[in-house]
Amino acid sequence: MTTDYIEPIFTATNKVLNNILQLKEIKQGPTAVTEELIATKKVNISIGITGDLEGAIIFSFPEEMALKIVREMSGMEIKEIDKFVTSAVGELGNIICGNALTTLSQNDYCCDITPPQVIIGIDNKISLASEEISIMPLETNFGEFDVNIGLCNC
Amino acid sequence: MLWKEKYKIGIEKVDQQHKEIFNRLNNFLNVVRNDEEMKSKLEEIEKTLDFMGQYVVVHFDSEEKVQQEYNYPHYEEHKEVHDRFKEEIINFKQEFEADKYNEDLVMEFSGRLLTWLINHVADEDQKIADYIQK
Ligand SMILES: [Fe+2]
Repeated sequence: MTTDYIEPIFTATNKVLNNILQLKEIKQGPTAVTEELIATKKVNISIGITGDLEGAIIFSFPEEMALKIVREMSGMEIKEIDKFVTSAVGELGNIICGNALTTLSQNDYCCDITPPQVIIGIDNKISLASEEISIMPLETNFGEFDVNIGLCNC
Repeated sequence: MLWKEKYKIGIEKVDQQHKEIFNRLNNFLNVVRNDEEMKSKLEEIEKTLDFMGQYVVVHFDSEEKVQQEYNYPHYEEHKEVHDRFKEEIINFKQEFEADKYNEDLVMEFSGRLLTWLINHVADEDQKIADYIQK
């Protein structure tokens, strides 16, 4: 199975977070592959993908990182995860995927995205249509988070 | 929500408009997120929505005009993004009018607006600046 769509997703994540948060650098850890996604971080943003690639991209942020992101963007004191926070972070996921799809369309993958879904909580099993999920751990000065890619080009 | 110097695109009028939008939205967020009851926020929310509805149209027009003046190659795509955003504000206004005491609805909209606007100004509008400078 080819996974040539993973790199454009990383590039888009890197670019959007840099623009919005002025992150110094995003370190990409080794990608792991799993068949079942169990949430290890509290704030999970799932963006559905349809078209030549089918499945979802899930951004998993620790609570503190999600709060920090929204604090940085809004310049406000943000103490807990609420609708405002999940919606702001959800839009971040939406923008990243939109950017990634633009690149992917140049590589002949024609896809659409569906609006972000927010899944809060650790240890939840997140069901994905694809058989394999690539977990890409990323390290930033805002914290560590994962981009989980469950896509199928079948 | 803070304006940053790096958001400037180098066209005075557009930069001023961006600043104004950031300031207004900042006030809006402060109202939306204070601990008071929804009832006391309604007036300010309506005021900001009216302002955004009108001012954003004026601003997008100015920005689109600049793009045309400079023959910006991504004018059409950019205009499409603006049009979609204008539509979203109109849709939200309708939703809000129909369900004024629904705080979740306002929170959801504000969060999306925050991220959208920063990304638009920090990324998509910067591409205009990059092009003009070349
Ligand atoms: Fe614009």
